[in-house]
Formats: sequence, C-alpha cells, structure tokens
Amino acid sequence: MVGGADDIRLDVRELHKAFGGVRAVDGCSFAVPRGKISGLIGPNGSGKTTTFNLLTGVVTPDTGQVLYRGEDIAGLKPFQVFRRGITRTFQVTRIFREMTVFENMLSVTGLDVPDRAARARADELLALVNLTHLRTEYGGRLSYGQQKLLEFARALMTDPDLILLDEPAAGVNRTLLQHLLDHIHRLQESGKTILIVEHDMNVIMNHCERIFVMDYGVKIAEGPPAEIRRDERVIEAYFGRRRQR
Amino acid sequence: MARHEHLRNLILLGLLALVLAAAPNQLSVYVRSFLLFTMMYVVLALSWNIISGFTGYTSFGHVAFYGIGAYACAILVADYRWHWLASLGAGAVVSAVVAVAIGYPVLRLKGPYFAIAMLGAAEGTRVVATVWDSLTHGGLGISLPSADTSTPTYYAMLALMVLTIVVCYVVGHSRFGIRLNAIREDEGAAEALGIDATRYKLAAFVLSAVFPAVAGGIQAYKVLYIDPPGVFFVQITIAMALMSMLGGKGTVIGPIVGAAVLYTAQELTWVNFPSAHLIAYGLFIIVIARFMPRGLVGFAIDRGWVRKGMVH
Repeated sequence: MVGGADDIRLDVRELHKAFGGVRAVDGCSFAVPRGKISGLIGPNGSGKTTTFNLLTGVVTPDTGQVLYRGEDIAGLKPFQVFRRGITRTFQVTRIFREMTVFENMLSVTGLDVPDRAARARADELLALVNLTHLRTEYGGRLSYGQQKLLEFARALMTDPDLILLDEPAAGVNRTLLQHLLDHIHRLQESGKTILIVEHDMNVIMNHCERIFVMDYGVKIAEGPPAEIRRDERVIEAYFGRRRQR
Repeated sequence: MARHEHLRNLILLGLLALVLAAAPNQLSVYVRSFLLFTMMYVVLALSWNIISGFTGYTSFGHVAFYGIGAYACAILVADYRWHWLASLGAGAVVSAVVAVAIGYPVLRLKGPYFAIAMLGAAEGTRVVATVWDSLTHGGLGISLPSADTSTPTYYAMLALMVLTIVVCYVVGHSRFGIRLNAIREDEGAAEALGIDATRYKLAAFVLSAVFPAVAGGIQAYKVLYIDPPGVFFVQITIAMALMSMLGGKGTVIGPIVGAAVLYTAQELTWVNFPSAHLIAYGLFIIVIARFMPRGLVGFAIDRGWVRKGMVH
C-alpha cells in the first residue's frame, strides 16, 4: 500500500461527472504515488479519458476533489493546472501544425525565464528527442512518431512535476515506443511522478509500479502489476464474466 | 531571428518611410491620395491579421472599429472643437473599450460563429450610429469644418502605418505572438500548455481594434464628411481580409504586400474597366485563391524563398 500523505502526489477523491444521463465518472478515488510511474487502465468507456480530463481541467467535475500539493485543483482551468506543474500529452498528438518545431517548443507558457533561457531549454529538449535537425520545419510536416516526440518534449518545457500521458503507445512503432519509455523512466528517476492512461497492456504491466483499474466510472482494483493480472474483477471487466458452471 | 536581420528590416522600413515622407510635394493630388489609401489599407490589413491571422479568429466585422474611430474624430472635431490629432487618441480609446465589450462574449465563439457574430456586431454599430441622432447626427452624417487637410492626414497615415508595422513586427516575433499562433492552431492544446487563451485572445482583439480606429479618424479628417453607410461599409472588412489573405495571413509582411497589391489592382481595374471593375477584381481574387491558397508569402515559403516560422 501507499504510505503516508507525503508519498502521494495526486489524491483523487470521489470524483463524479455526468454528461446528461451518462455517469462517466461515478465516485472515482485513487492516490497517485509520488516519484513513481502509475497506470490507469480500463475497458473502452470505463471513464479513463474523462478522469484524465477532470484531472487536467478540461472538464469540471460535478463533485469531488483532486488534491495536489495540499490544494484542491478540481475545477481549475487547464492553463491553471499546467502552471501548478502538471503537464499532459494527448491521445492523438496535438502539436501546432503550422508552426515550426522550435515555435512549438517556445509556445509553452509559465516559464519565468528570460527568452534566451527558454530558447536554450527548447534546444536542449529537442536534442534529447533527436529532433534538432527538424527545428525549423513545420510541425505538420513531421511523421506521426516525430510529432509524438515533439509533443512529449514540449510538455517538458517547464520542468513539470507531474506528467500525465494519454496513451503514449497509440500509433507508435516499437522502436519509438522503447525510446519514449526510456525517457519516461529517466524522468521518473529524476524524481517526477508519471501517470499513464494506456490500452497497451504490455506497457502498463512492464513499466508501471502501481495500476488503477476503472470500469463503469469507478476504480474497481488497484495494485502492482502482478496482482492486477490475477484480479478477478479486472479479468471480468475486460473479458466478461466466466460462464456459471 | 538573428539580430542583424531585425536591423536590416528596420532599415528597410526606415527607407520606405523616408521615401513616402519625401513624396507628397512632388506628386499629384491623385497619386498622393492613392498612397494615403494604400497606407490606410496596410494598417487595416495588418490589424485584421492580428486577430484573424495570428490568432485564427476570422473577423467579418472589423470595419466597426474603423467606423468608431471615424465617428470619434468627426464628432469631437465638428461638435466639440477638439484638435483632430487629439480626437484620434480618443477614437483609439473608445475603440479599445468597445473591443473589450464585444470581444469578451464573442471570442467564446469559434470559426464561422465568431465570423458571423462579428458581422452582426459591425452592423449593430452601424445601426447605433444611424439612430443615435443626438450624438452622431444620424443618417445625415457629419460635415467637418473645411480645411486643407490632405498633407497633414498624409503624414498622420504614414506615421500610423509605420507604428502599426513596428507593433505587428514585434508581436509577430515575440513569444506573445507564438502563443497567439498556438491558439490558432489548437486552442485546447494551447490551454494545456499554460496559455490563458481568453486573455490572449482579448489582448489580440483589442490590439487589432485600435489601429483601424485611428485610421478611420484620419480618413474622416481627410474627406471631411462621414455618414454611417460610408464608414461602416462591409466591403472595408472584406478588403482587410482579402488583402491579408492575398499577402499571406499570419505573417507580418503578407498583409503589407497584400494591401499594396490588391489596392493597386483595385485602382487599376477601376480606372481601366470602370463598368467591369468588380468582375476583374473578382477574377483576380479567384486566381490568387486557386493558385496561392496561403497567399504570396505562403507561396514563397513553400518554395523555400522565405524561411518558415517567425521565431528562429
């Protein structure tokens, strides 16, 4: 189990969100451990994406709390959430297509640094993800994998504390995925907290220390990969109930 | 962008300003007037470009700010005996206030909804100018005290144009400008990267409303008579958009080139084909839209003649 409050980076308490009659998130609670890689999984329609959107301010919860560094950030706007040190990537990359790679990097706000420092940081991160040679190319001209890397590098501009990744493996080839995962592990080693929403079971099982499983808008299970793999409720949620007798 | 490139561009602008400043004495009244209008359209196209090109909110109602500036000047000069230059400042302030009032609700709309709301806002402003008799003299319009204003207005327009170019250049090459671009490209992603889109959009909108107001004021003082259909003429908005698009919206040089080319083309077709000038003008626009969808500057960028991006 997770230890004291100091070990928790993001404490999600009883989140509720209904769209009309659909209760997308229906009393979901979980605590993201600090300095670790955690995973959020669940079948389609289980409320993962809505939860992600609730954490990042894209959607405002009906009730519930999201505690981050002792502050309830539920209901803040996305830019306010970001400025508190929480960054995210998107399921389908959302880079700025008609802007150069370098401009994509510099668009990020919340860096209280002079222009020169921001430029240096942008170049440093581009070098890290091997995009330096595409610095002056339009974002829209990049391959999908390169866009994914750009989005990832862009999300790190402010040296965030909590990184939320929405399906980092989607549409990415194995080599690139390995590359991304290496970066993710390096971030974790440097003390960052990472939460991944992912469909790819291998990614989740092999790289997350703690896994939260959602179904029908609530957390149905939580634990390390080995436990989750054997959890009856999880198997049921994914594959349906075993036929009786 | 390297410092020497900024310096080069500054020198080019200085030279252009010098040539234009020296010009009026040698030129006929017609050519001087032609230059004044060209400069005015450079101001209008650049202003429209701040909100619609940089930020991606296509406005079909920017003439409202031009008209407000024209009315501010005409009312203050004709009825309150203000100095015309002071009235230009007042027009800019009024326009900025109106821009906040219109922009705050309307900038929540996107795409065609924003465009149409702006069209409505401009028409609404025209109606107000028509019916508010006690202030605007209604449909009769306002005549300003006669004076020889062609030289001072020429220099005022030149100064305004230089100022607008400098401001747009600085905005375009700044992180503020990049963030406006980010909002244009993907507002949701921009907000996820810490950009307070509401504030940035409003700032861009107000900035884009100020210069047209001053241009409208200068124009009113030049022609010495304004009425609602004349200064709230929807075709002025269309011209701003077309010029900006023709040159390459979202760039700084694009709207300048676009305004110069399109206004010249308009004038030439008007002079040479008086009965068919709108047809010629329309054909010209169709050809441009078909072969250079991203404008002259976009065309040059695609061929590698101009570097991509504003910040390097």
